[in-house]
Amino acid sequence: MKKHFHVKRETVDGYLFILAAMVIFLVFTIYPMVSAVTTSLKDYRPFGSEWVGAANYKAAVGNALFLKSVKNTLVYTVATVPVSLAISFIVALLIMPFKRKTQSLFKALYYMPAVASGVATSVVWLWIYNSAPSGLFNQIMSILHLPAQNWLSSSRTAMLSLIIMSLLGGHGTHIITYIAALMGIDSSYFEAADIDGASFFQKVWYVVLPLCKPTTLFLLVTGFINSFQVFMNAYMMTGGGPDNNTTMIGLLIFNNAFVYGKYGLACAEAIILACLIACMTAVQFRVMGDNVEY
Amino acid sequence: MKNVHVNMPKSLKKERGTSMMKMKLALISAVISVGILTACSDRTETQVKEESTAASSTTASESVTQKDTLLAKEENEPAADTITIMVPPITSNYVELLDGWIEDYKKDHPNIEIEVTATTWAENTSKLTTMALAGEAPDIAEVDMNMIGPLAEMGVAVDLEQYLDAETLADYDRNSLDYLRQNDILYGLPLYLTIQALGGNRAMLEEAGADIEKIQTSGWTYDEFLKIVAAGTKEGTWGFIFANQGVAAADVVNIFGVSAGITNAFTSDFKYAFTSENMLQLLTAIEDLVKSGYMPNYGIETGQRWAMLETGETMIAGKAMPLTESTIRKNNAGIADGTATEGSIEVEYVFLPTPAMEGVDESCYGIVDGMVPLRNNGTTDQHMKNVCEFLNYICSGERIAAVDDEVMLPSVCESGRQAQANRELEQYENNAAAAARCISLVKVPPVGISSEQTSKASTLMNEVIVPKFQALLAGEVTAQNMYEEICQAAIAEFGESSCEMGRIP
Repeated sequence: MKKHFHVKRETVDGYLFILAAMVIFLVFTIYPMVSAVTTSLKDYRPFGSEWVGAANYKAAVGNALFLKSVKNTLVYTVATVPVSLAISFIVALLIMPFKRKTQSLFKALYYMPAVASGVATSVVWLWIYNSAPSGLFNQIMSILHLPAQNWLSSSRTAMLSLIIMSLLGGHGTHIITYIAALMGIDSSYFEAADIDGASFFQKVWYVVLPLCKPTTLFLLVTGFINSFQVFMNAYMMTGGGPDNNTTMIGLLIFNNAFVYGKYGLACAEAIILACLIACMTAVQFRVMGDNVEY
Repeated sequence: MKNVHVNMPKSLKKERGTSMMKMKLALISAVISVGILTACSDRTETQVKEESTAASSTTASESVTQKDTLLAKEENEPAADTITIMVPPITSNYVELLDGWIEDYKKDHPNIEIEVTATTWAENTSKLTTMALAGEAPDIAEVDMNMIGPLAEMGVAVDLEQYLDAETLADYDRNSLDYLRQNDILYGLPLYLTIQALGGNRAMLEEAGADIEKIQTSGWTYDEFLKIVAAGTKEGTWGFIFANQGVAAADVVNIFGVSAGITNAFTSDFKYAFTSENMLQLLTAIEDLVKSGYMPNYGIETGQRWAMLETGETMIAGKAMPLTESTIRKNNAGIADGTATEGSIEVEYVFLPTPAMEGVDESCYGIVDGMVPLRNNGTTDQHMKNVCEFLNYICSGERIAAVDDEVMLPSVCESGRQAQANRELEQYENNAAAAARCISLVKVPPVGISSEQTSKASTLMNEVIVPKFQALLAGEVTAQNMYEEICQAAIAEFGESSCEMGRIP
């Protein structure tokens, strides 16, 4: 017997419901991605691009500055993401014992920098790092009888300055996520630990940390992704200097695209960056993903 | 008649309600999708309007008489056109001035509409690059001469001589037009030729033994400069500072480069100049200034240099322009009412030429800022003619005189100079004379440099020279090391035969 193709009303409703999301996804995510891949294979010109195959990829990989920017980004990421997670976790643990209202106050305080514009925050940090004796950090150094530092202009301190800047601000989201995770832990685990005579640190190590593992993995993965795409700090604070010691991949891509007009090369570098992020994420899931369920 | 009222079961009512809600939500979702797709369409509002006008005119054309009238009208009246222009704050009131000029222009050209996009200095270049690469550049944009190469390389810059006749172009000084040429093609019209050199505090300079009149009228050697800077360096006061934080380091290399005889990134025989022995001489001089404690070993922000000059934290500051006098005068006036920079002292600003190092003829660094016409997807010949005509209008006569008065510079076109002739500026005579003398010392870049060469030089400046310069200031690389690394990178980019490795003649 011939089967008639029959579309159920519910199916049509379903497709209509996801239509807006699908269109947004296709137009603003898939299309730019495909366009970036095709542009990376061209010598891009507004009127008549030339197909150059893998030339942009070869140019990117063969460029010493690109390799240096990858190294800088890795150093920045490795130095900031784990430490930032540790700080957020500790702060979340410290906030937890307070009453709900006090918790909210702390959460709001820690989240405040996330609301401020990155440019405004950078201007404040520029004043803090001013290399003149009147700079805030240099005044502190002077009180401690230490020599004034050339914070953003010296190769020895420029990257460190960006790392400190990252570590001293912007934990709000992580803290709120950790607090939510901590509140989700059933009190029976702590009662059992108390009966077993566990100390505070033993409870943190054997109960809290394992139960927060999915949250930690999530924050670690998103933290690495965000850190690999970092742009604003280097752009506003150092411009990539001194001696390209703070040039991150994001800044290099921006310069190639919007300063030198080399869209093809910039797209090739962006695709390489996306592949690097995908590899790093796969490694993180491989190493930490056991026993983690969402 | 009796009304029959049927009570629907509750579950059925609920189901129908849910179904209606679903339908509404699905409809909203579909509308959003269509909205997104429409918003992403390339068709602009103007295009839609034009199409709608075309459709109505098709209906009208059914009548032969009406058609004839329309044709006759079209022959007599020029077609409507819209010109877009993007400008940063060339002067503080430039957009207001432009609006007034547009009103005047439209009186004679009622068919032309002009749309102005105001930008900031910070975003002007990146915004223009992005728009140009997308094929949606404004018809006219403000650029400095270094932007001509990238725009020509992208293929969006337009050969101006195809649209403006020789008589019109004869109004402009040939030297300033040459700044806006690439491969011997003229791509823009100049707004002004600005000179960039040094500025100082008269009282401090005199105390350090400087003969200011002699320096302003006949220049100074680098040795004389060094002696005065040494005498002017005291506790709490630097002898000399230069805005050199981040990309501003390029200014030091360019402006102070003329001290060492590097007047352009390329020599007259088109060789890359920053590999010459003159560059080593320049870097060594800067290294010595920092080591001697006459100049800070850290980066100075562009705005910070004026604050340091206003508060007496430095005797000489760079880069400085004649216009700086206006900034310092305003600050002096603000001391009384509390609007001046904190800790300000009364400063009489003196504009100073760049000192000349041993074996170098005195010169001054000058750059031309101009307006360029740009082509887009679907730009027609007639449209470009309209664009170039309007471009010439705003770059000449009373319009350009108003701009040049604001920046305290003489116009670079005859009609502008005539308009400036009867005006008086609030400027010290000695500074005006020193500026005029410096303008006469500016060496025009060699004509015939390709856009590819300019583009490579720009990359070398941003990726090698500027980052290394910060390290030189901090004492982390020596002048010799930095010079060698510049040579290595430049040879890799241009080839040794295209780099000047000896002394610039």
